Amino acid sequence: MATATSPPGLVTITIDGRPMSVPAGTTVFDAARINGIAIPTLCHLQNETPVGVCRLCVVDTGARVLTASCVRPVEPGLKVETQSPKVLQARKTLLELLMSDHPSPCARQEHSRDCELETLAKAAGVAEPRFAKRSVARGLDDSSLAIAVDHDACILCDRCIRGCDEIKNNFVLGRMGKGYSTGIAFDLNAPMGNSTCISCGECMVSCPTGALTNKGVAGTSIAPSGDNQGFDAEEILQIPVFKGVSGTFLELNRGAIVKRRYGAGEIICREGEFGSTAFYIVEGAAKVSISTPIAHVKTQGGARGFFKRLTSTLVDRREDVRDEETRDRTIPIDASVDLNYGNPVASLGPGDLFGEMTCLNFYPRSATVRAESEVVAYEMLRNVLDIMMKNKTFRAQIDANYRERALENHLRAVPMFADLSPDFIAHLKQTVELQRFAPGEIIARQGDAADSFYLVRIGFVKISENYPGGEMVLAYLSRGDYFGEIGLLGGGVRTAMCTALDHVEVVRIAGSDFRDMVARFPNVRKGLEDVATERLQANEQRLKTVHSVPLDQFLSQGLMEAQSLLVLDLQKCTRCDACVNACADAHDGVTRLVRDGLRFEQYLIATSCRQCRDPLCMVGCPVGSIRRRNSLEVIIEDWCIGCGLCARNCPYGNINLHPFEVVSEDPDHPGRTKAVVKQKATSCDLCTNLEEPSCVYACPHDAAHRVDPKAFFADVIGQSSSN
Amino acid sequence: MRIDRSQRTWAIASVAIFLISAATYFVYTRSSIAGPRGGSTIGLTFGVAGFSFMLFAALLGARKRVPVWRLGRAQAWMRGHLWLGMLSLPVILFHGGFHFGGTLTRVLMAMLIFTVVSGLFGAALQHYIPRVMTTDVPFETIYDEIGHVRNLLLEESDRSMEALCGTLGVRRTSQEETQRAGGFTAMRPMTTTTKGGAAVAAAAEIVLLSEEESAPLRRFYLNEMRPFLERPAERRLLLYDAGKAQIAFSGIRTLLPARAHATIDDLQDICEEARQLQKQRRLHHWLHLWLLVHIPISLALIALAAVHAVMALKY
Repeated sequence: MATATSPPGLVTITIDGRPMSVPAGTTVFDAARINGIAIPTLCHLQNETPVGVCRLCVVDTGARVLTASCVRPVEPGLKVETQSPKVLQARKTLLELLMSDHPSPCARQEHSRDCELETLAKAAGVAEPRFAKRSVARGLDDSSLAIAVDHDACILCDRCIRGCDEIKNNFVLGRMGKGYSTGIAFDLNAPMGNSTCISCGECMVSCPTGALTNKGVAGTSIAPSGDNQGFDAEEILQIPVFKGVSGTFLELNRGAIVKRRYGAGEIICREGEFGSTAFYIVEGAAKVSISTPIAHVKTQGGARGFFKRLTSTLVDRREDVRDEETRDRTIPIDASVDLNYGNPVASLGPGDLFGEMTCLNFYPRSATVRAESEVVAYEMLRNVLDIMMKNKTFRAQIDANYRERALENHLRAVPMFADLSPDFIAHLKQTVELQRFAPGEIIARQGDAADSFYLVRIGFVKISENYPGGEMVLAYLSRGDYFGEIGLLGGGVRTAMCTALDHVEVVRIAGSDFRDMVARFPNVRKGLEDVATERLQANEQRLKTVHSVPLDQFLSQGLMEAQSLLVLDLQKCTRCDACVNACADAHDGVTRLVRDGLRFEQYLIATSCRQCRDPLCMVGCPVGSIRRRNSLEVIIEDWCIGCGLCARNCPYGNINLHPFEVVSEDPDHPGRTKAVVKQKATSCDLCTNLEEPSCVYACPHDAAHRVDPKAFFADVIGQSSSN
Repeated sequence: MRIDRSQRTWAIASVAIFLISAATYFVYTRSSIAGPRGGSTIGLTFGVAGFSFMLFAALLGARKRVPVWRLGRAQAWMRGHLWLGMLSLPVILFHGGFHFGGTLTRVLMAMLIFTVVSGLFGAALQHYIPRVMTTDVPFETIYDEIGHVRNLLLEESDRSMEALCGTLGVRRTSQEETQRAGGFTAMRPMTTTTKGGAAVAAAAEIVLLSEEESAPLRRFYLNEMRPFLERPAERRLLLYDAGKAQIAFSGIRTLLPARAHATIDDLQDICEEARQLQKQRRLHHWLHLWLLVHIPISLALIALAAVHAVMALKY
């Protein structure tokens, strides 16, 4: 109620001895602010509903207790003290309490020195809090590529929640937990990166501390170059597919997205190179191709003749058919199209995104992209790409491109889907669902009901089975591979655990569509059943092996699962390296054997592929050219681009790169060719084409042997247990 | 090459050849009026056989140069080298009727005896040393990598010390991430009795001693351990000897608080590894250096034997 002396609708109050009139309904905090009196606060922001949770804005109104000024409306004749000793002491105590739980300096204070809590605490003279820190850490959430979440630095002011709900209307953020474990939560307490958060950045902008901070990605700036057109957030936001992206975020990530212009013939990215960016073509046409010969390494010659020596040459699968070699017609690459095995060249145009795997997972480039006409493209780092992929418009366009251009190839690449009629493919194109999974997220759990069939579009999926003694990795599936058919065709239960190894996107075909498909196309059903039976038998065989082996040590080293091993008897070996020299001699000077490895009793298991339980070499291959045969042996397909990632990933050093001189197109002089050295990954195959491996044949001391591990170790274990 | 049961066939065949040769020689000496002579038919037969054995033995080196050629397994060549090379001595003695003849033949006999004896010495070394190396050097690495691994050990120990005692003020040679010998492989032995995986070490507790507390260890490290890691071949150094090292580390443990003992254990392990690498180097030299004598002499023997054969047949 207004006093008689106040103008209509205004209320007269006194703050710190200064009389003032403010509109009725104004809070004490706002009244003070309007009249130039600053009251410290942490939870209150001008454009958000006041909630009065931090209590830092307490003032003395003469009542029994101090009141939070941000939620206290003015009353006629109200006398407010904002700087009385009692108020200052209360604020200081509050700050001290907040600081006692605050990881000082927090990320924000460390980077920009503007953590509001620490600034206020310093101003209030709070040095070392007298109170004990919280004993239970609330932890970090590093799952988002754009925003780092430090729950320990959160003061529960709710500014982020109100920003998300009231300002952006996204309703992703909320509170969770009770007592000391209270914190903010995304969706139903999902990791931020896996939640429905679109990374608009509003929460981060609202946060007064280092609880939500803009995340730095390694090398957050794209290196400047001549074709770098710089950054203009306004211009970017004008492009239809960028609509809805937070301008604030783009500004904060200045340097993480640049516009580039490429002249005709210029190379945008080169196969095998490591990178951290993706490209989105705005204008122009580009050619995507693989320049490494589509062939595998074959060692041949000399085994029968006295003086003919062995040579390693490149041959393709038409000339040399290997056991269980894939008959895929397409080569999966990191773009919206796949390449043809016979002619690995395709075109990219406006609206195409390529380099997602490189950008999100830091895998090497899978192919060379060259501008065919003048190309304008945006090059972006993973934090920007992540935001883009969460943007509905952008996402819809990328998905539409995929459905239009690559989905059919992917489906047709599954051998048994080759017979699907065009109308059913068209139907699938409309009905399939594209799903994303964050690293470590479980796509299907062993024992769950099987309701879908999946085709891997991006990333790597780990297929594993639990058995007594641990987890056995059955396969790593990459782009173009599929899973889920065993559960659907069998008892309706998932037989293995399927986990996203990195940023994974899958095409999900619903169970109903799958059943419709197998009913309509008997050949598809038969093909799938055959594959399912084969996979089940292979799994059973592996599990049988596992159960029959008593030694965890062998299992953990993958020794028992090998089909054959190269074993050196160290009591006979004189360390003359004749084996290594023989291996090099047999492979054009490139040895695939290092006389080093795991040691068991007197035996050295020399480095040669041991068909590990967890074949890490397969993770990250940008073109999916390394895989397992049913026998678990590694096979490197013809389209290996020689990037060397598998060699780096193999913990046993069993994969080598074999250089070959080939004639290739000269990137600096289009239309001309020149001799270049290209590499192909190879691994020791124990000279399976020869009666005896070269290393064993050349060992003068009878120390090297190729053995069947089960028989060999059973013998060794028997001997040692009898001793 | 190990002399074991797998050599039985060759051993029996060699003994048989020897006995036949000896019997033939015995009959020959009895029946020959002028006594055994190298120029007689039987003497020449012994000479050709002995030279063939020597030649075959010498061809092992050539065989090793073409390891991929399918000329028979290298181990068969090695067995032939051993047994036929050994047989060549009695056969050549039968050839000369146990007379050493003129200067050339005397030199040839001396060289043959030296070659065979050095070969037997080498065979004995190759029989025993691999076993010693396998049992005594569990941290064995590739021979050429020993220097590199030693550098890594030195860096690892420097880091451990600095983590415990603060800056040492020593100059580092590289910033490489350190790993124990052989990196991931480490050639550490697994045994049938090993329980559980030992591949992953528990995270170390961070301990930093005061200057006063760390003084004895700092002194020991700078005066004894670091010099040893830099020059592990120096016998006069305290840590060269495993027994003395054990005593020294036990003494150091008593001077330092218990929270530093984990690091001291680690330092002791590093010294042990350095000692083992030194032992590996020494054994490796024993395994292979005799060849520096055996091979040149045997090649010279073949060359002179050829000269002797040509001269004997021509003149």
